[in-house]
Amino acid sequence: MALKLDDAFQTADAGIGADGACLRSMLEESERLFAETGYYCGLESLPLKESAPIRYEKMHSRLRGGVVTSRETAMRVAASPLVANMGEVCFVLCTAEGDSVAVSTGIIVHVNTMSQAIKYMVRNDYEDNPGIKPGDIFVNNDCRISNVHPADVQTHVPIFHEGELVAWASGVTHEFDVGATVPGSSTVGPINRFEDGIDLPALRCGENDRLHRDYVDRCMNRVRTPEYWMLDERTRLAGCHMIRQLALEMIADEGVDTFKQLLHEAVEDGRRSFTARVRRTMVPGKYRAPVFVDCLFADEPSLPPEAAVDTLFHIPVAVDVTAAGTLNVGLRGANEWGLHCFNCTPEAIRGGLWAVLAQTFMSNDVVNDGASFAVGLDLPLGSWANPGHQLTAHTDAWYPLTPLAHALAKPLSRGYLARGYLEEIIAGWGSPNMLQGGQLSDSGIGTAVCNMEVVCSGGGAGLVADGLDYASIGIISVIDMGDIEDWESMEPLIYLGRTVKCDSAGAGRYRGGLGFDSLRMVVDPCSLQNHAPGKVFDGSGLFGGYPPGTAYRHNLHDTALPEMFAARQPYPTADWEGGSVPAGEEQLDDHTNTLLESYCRHDLYLSVIRGGPGAGDPIEREPAAVEADLRSGVLSARLARNVYGVETTTDDAGRAVVNIAATETQRGAIREQRAARGVPVADWMERERERVLEGRFVPPIKNMYRSSMKLSDSWATEYRDFWNLPSDFEF
Amino acid sequence: MTAPAIRVLGVDAGGTMTDTIAVDAAGRFVIGKAQTTPADESEGFVASVQDALAYWDVLPDSAFPQMASGVFSGTAMLNRLLERKGRRLGVIVARGFEDQLLMEQGIGTWLGYSYADTLHVITHRHHEPLVPRVRVTGVGGRIDPTGEEVIPLYESDVEQATIELLEAGVECICISFPFSWRNPDHERRAQHIAQAVIEAAGEDVAIRISSEVCPKRLELARLNTMIIDAYAAEPSREHLLNVRKRTTDFGATFDLRIMAAAGTTISIDAPHLVSTLVSGPIGGCVGARYLSQRLDQPNIACADIGGTSFDVALVVGGENEIRPAGDIAHFKMNLPMVRMDSVGAGTGSFVRVSPFSNRLEIGPDSAGSRIGTSNPDGGIDTVTITDCDVALGRLDPDYFLGGELPLDRPRAEAAIYEQLARPLGISVEEVASGVIELFESELGRQLKSTVTGQGFGARDFTLLGYGGGGPLHVAGFSQGLGFDDVLVPSWAAGFSAFGCVCADYAYRLDRQFDQPLPQGDSNGEAGNFIQALNDIWANLRARIAEEFRRSGVAESDIQWQPSLRVQYTGQLNDIEVPVASLEFTGPSDLAGIADTFEAIYGKVYGNAARSPEVGYYVTLGILTGSTEIEKPVLVVEPMAPADDIENARKPTREVYADGRWQPVGIFDLDAMRAGNRIVGPAVLEAPSTTFYVPPGRTATLDQHRIFHLRESETG
Repeated sequence: MALKLDDAFQTADAGIGADGACLRSMLEESERLFAETGYYCGLESLPLKESAPIRYEKMHSRLRGGVVTSRETAMRVAASPLVANMGEVCFVLCTAEGDSVAVSTGIIVHVNTMSQAIKYMVRNDYEDNPGIKPGDIFVNNDCRISNVHPADVQTHVPIFHEGELVAWASGVTHEFDVGATVPGSSTVGPINRFEDGIDLPALRCGENDRLHRDYVDRCMNRVRTPEYWMLDERTRLAGCHMIRQLALEMIADEGVDTFKQLLHEAVEDGRRSFTARVRRTMVPGKYRAPVFVDCLFADEPSLPPEAAVDTLFHIPVAVDVTAAGTLNVGLRGANEWGLHCFNCTPEAIRGGLWAVLAQTFMSNDVVNDGASFAVGLDLPLGSWANPGHQLTAHTDAWYPLTPLAHALAKPLSRGYLARGYLEEIIAGWGSPNMLQGGQLSDSGIGTAVCNMEVVCSGGGAGLVADGLDYASIGIISVIDMGDIEDWESMEPLIYLGRTVKCDSAGAGRYRGGLGFDSLRMVVDPCSLQNHAPGKVFDGSGLFGGYPPGTAYRHNLHDTALPEMFAARQPYPTADWEGGSVPAGEEQLDDHTNTLLESYCRHDLYLSVIRGGPGAGDPIEREPAAVEADLRSGVLSARLARNVYGVETTTDDAGRAVVNIAATETQRGAIREQRAARGVPVADWMERERERVLEGRFVPPIKNMYRSSMKLSDSWATEYRDFWNLPSDFEF
Repeated sequence: MTAPAIRVLGVDAGGTMTDTIAVDAAGRFVIGKAQTTPADESEGFVASVQDALAYWDVLPDSAFPQMASGVFSGTAMLNRLLERKGRRLGVIVARGFEDQLLMEQGIGTWLGYSYADTLHVITHRHHEPLVPRVRVTGVGGRIDPTGEEVIPLYESDVEQATIELLEAGVECICISFPFSWRNPDHERRAQHIAQAVIEAAGEDVAIRISSEVCPKRLELARLNTMIIDAYAAEPSREHLLNVRKRTTDFGATFDLRIMAAAGTTISIDAPHLVSTLVSGPIGGCVGARYLSQRLDQPNIACADIGGTSFDVALVVGGENEIRPAGDIAHFKMNLPMVRMDSVGAGTGSFVRVSPFSNRLEIGPDSAGSRIGTSNPDGGIDTVTITDCDVALGRLDPDYFLGGELPLDRPRAEAAIYEQLARPLGISVEEVASGVIELFESELGRQLKSTVTGQGFGARDFTLLGYGGGGPLHVAGFSQGLGFDDVLVPSWAAGFSAFGCVCADYAYRLDRQFDQPLPQGDSNGEAGNFIQALNDIWANLRARIAEEFRRSGVAESDIQWQPSLRVQYTGQLNDIEVPVASLEFTGPSDLAGIADTFEAIYGKVYGNAARSPEVGYYVTLGILTGSTEIEKPVLVVEPMAPADDIENARKPTREVYADGRWQPVGIFDLDAMRAGNRIVGPAVLEAPSTTFYVPPGRTATLDQHRIFHLRESETG
């Protein structure tokens, strides 16, 4: 038997689950068995896999392949470029209890969010009210139930066999707009749930395989891009129905008991495979990779006073690797949630974790909820990572989640280094600026703009190669900048250029991948925001590598471009020398996370897609590699000398040529400068301790630590111990 | 046998072998093979043709003058592209767009990858661009999406760019600006300016503009298509002219044509040869289309198993499916191609047991032409699918490629034991047959998903299996899928070459249109729409007529088939909708477009996916012009008794089937006669192919020398 069922639960009446059980008791039983035995559903052995490994593999690959193919086919139905071009869609087949078994490619971040949404319905007795029957369709985008941000909209379709609910098919797409107070997909501006856009809290939106008319009307009237919404709606539904068909065919071929057994074994198999991989590639112990992200809104006149504050997110990533091969990912020390739209839920955190694990750690393996059973989360209640409040805003949960996901690469990479898997090491990723906003229509009501070329940041360096240039981000692997002709057809701006960015790579023995500039010129009036972490480094280098530069903004209003065009003067195609283009107003500062601002024709907007972090000490980089970067114009002579310690001359063709002797001298000088600058750690700690004791931090940092200590006693104790502070120390 | 009158000749030069099929007036055929000769493909061409003709004891001098039609499919262009041995180009783009070849829109780093590698970011890589960044120059000027000029063309930039590129010694200059398909004015003016500079410098450098070579949306695909044409296709014309010269030297009077990706053949003199870059795998699909029409079986699913990949394509209603833009290698392209779903699973795919999950994994990497551990000289240490076939006795190690490549069965068995059987705790034959089962079930799933993904069921189709591994595995992967009939042509190994000579002589051209389909009878709107559409067709018609004229075909001999690509407004994936008339006269002509679109859309994606409320959008205007050309006839052999098979019988061999070793009948495939029926288990062998008929299946050879694989009658 796949599932050890209690006698009591076998006799539960009128349930739609196995043997007439209700789904909730099945889920509780499954959780009890896992808690008691440590095996999913108590599966100490895998009889199907062990007795018939080939048949098991055949069925399993049929499931996974079928889910992947369903995505491919359903995508062709899709409308929005986010889905059809960018592939922002993912499907999953889940057990009756809601555990994911097989996942398609796409936004794998959702392996678990859809699963938790199903479990919400199961736990809350949806089978009794509103009822779950064949042909039903459910929709969810509620973060409090299970989601990353409201723009991710999920469809859930129950799969019945002879009156029994045997599985679920679920799909999620990322929407251009969800009708929040400001347009966009990862909207910045909402400060509470009422501003977060359309609210679809795991509700039944269709029956008999058809969407309810009232539901469709509600969505069409409640978002700024209704055509995209409806086409994506159908994509999800078509994909779910294909997966349902796949499941029913498999039941017909293999029998329903074998099918259910396979689903459960596949989850347990996924758990075992995950722990085996952890044991093989990591060394037990505690790994830390803290990171900070700023959110500066104190000067925003449009926000109410309680929301117009400067905040620093504390993202104290800690990963405990156990000898048994499980991971505990903790954020003890995370500070409080706030009146902003960057709050996350535990499912979002888990999603970010999956995205990175799937790209780096288990890409050759089965990705399913089995791994969830081997990964614990420790998220302080009341923190931005686990608000536990019904009215928080979440439209851009990605803002802290992206650097968090990027930070997770570091513990993994340290494990790879310890075990010798050098090729797998990746120092993290760069963070992009996201161009977002709305175009003003004739009625004055904005339509949504949301440019997803941001997924092509620079990848982090490894220890055998430089990071991947302009083609990588931690949260999704099927990246694509998209064609400029497509973006321009949908946006009120044209590109003056999409250009590789000099000096954008984090330095290192192996440098990070390069980023790029997209310089946009407005053609129709619109409102836009800048959106990137700015004042702080939102990710470090690895093993002595440098982070990429921090973000900045450079925009121009009321430009003299028309006159320049008429005179055929050269115009900028990437970031340009400040002051060199005449304009009424120039914004060149570190104010990188703003609310919407108005733009007019011929205004310029710069989107900086940053490079990745480096790995290893830059003065150990091969001089020839520095020379190559100089020649291709992606590294300036200034950084070559100051950071890499490489001295060059110029040949007849004007190309850089390394001067080996001068380089050795310069590198020696850098080493000496470092030694001269260095102080004993004990002295440094004493000096910094004074600063901590006196609270000599800017207010956002002080507030952050105060909040961190309030939410987590254990983190507060660690902090006090580290700095040798009095036991009653508080900020 | 009387000296055959050879009518058609097809030659398909693949990466390693060049296959020839020659068909006589009665449909009899011979297949020849020779090594491909990349340095000069005409040598491999001649050797392969001679190899084929030798079966009939005929010399090229006497054969060629009788031929009515000949088609060649080469590989030189693709090699030139993959090996980066193309021409020295210069590129002029709008300022700010100079880095697009380097950036590959990010997607170029993983396009074509397997599921696992797509996820595994550390495997993603950029490629060396075809034109180095220093020879890509930007000039001022911009056209917006509506075709309006937003920044005037900086004419002096164009002059300067041309001067610099000439100094850099370029052989050809390619010019591509955003939205030139909407408004080509900047490109045309830039062309004139550059031309003047080139003439003033007394140089002979060609200029191409994207609005002429590829007037279609999406800048990178358009640029790639134009560049690859100039970089790899054009310089390979010389190869093709050499091949044609060999035919005329032998006395040929036909004009050798070449295979194009959209499933047509075109003249070597066509102005742009880029459409012929990927043609080899297309041949089989076109052959399937031909069989579909001749055998009156409108729907055929074709499955081609090679060493590294499994390609599936559909013939629906007697026609190949065309996708408007396909990718080649890691390049986004804007060329129409026969739609083919390809997965990285072939007879050379590696088989491993995962150390983490203790589960079997097949591929995605492959030993390719090096076969596997059974090939002692292949340098392969990892077990492959072919190794498993050898270990199971399905493949005769002494008759692989007709005995040309002796395989080492004990070596394969030892590797299977060590790498697979021992970790899983089962026997070598159990694991080998399990691997084949798994492999075939994965292929079957792919095949099925292609069929169902287009809204059909397997029972609507006849399956056609070919390619090096097709006959060996077709019975396995078609098992239980419900195909009406399974066909294996006895010329399966030369099927792609055969397909080449089955193709129409036709040009398919298209042009971006991008206008909403007028709804109702708002007359002005419909009138403009019709005018614009008629203009496109008139333009395409003139271009196609000109291409035919170069080859001496009169316009009156051309048949026209116009069509449109249509999508729901806002959607990005369109569907091809054939239309009846080359010239619309009024709004009533438009009504049928939406109806046809709805019918096709509902069939493919299900009625629940229909979204008529958002309206329709016409993306492309397409015109195909074709002319009559002689194609091979199918042989009609007299029928022999079903059981008259003793002449073909070879000594029996132990084969592992149905979970046990058993003596299995081995037959000489070429010695079999029409009407013969073989009951499985059996192995049919020819020098170039091995056809496995498992227990429970029966293979019957029909009068056209096509095997029909069916469930054996029980009882």
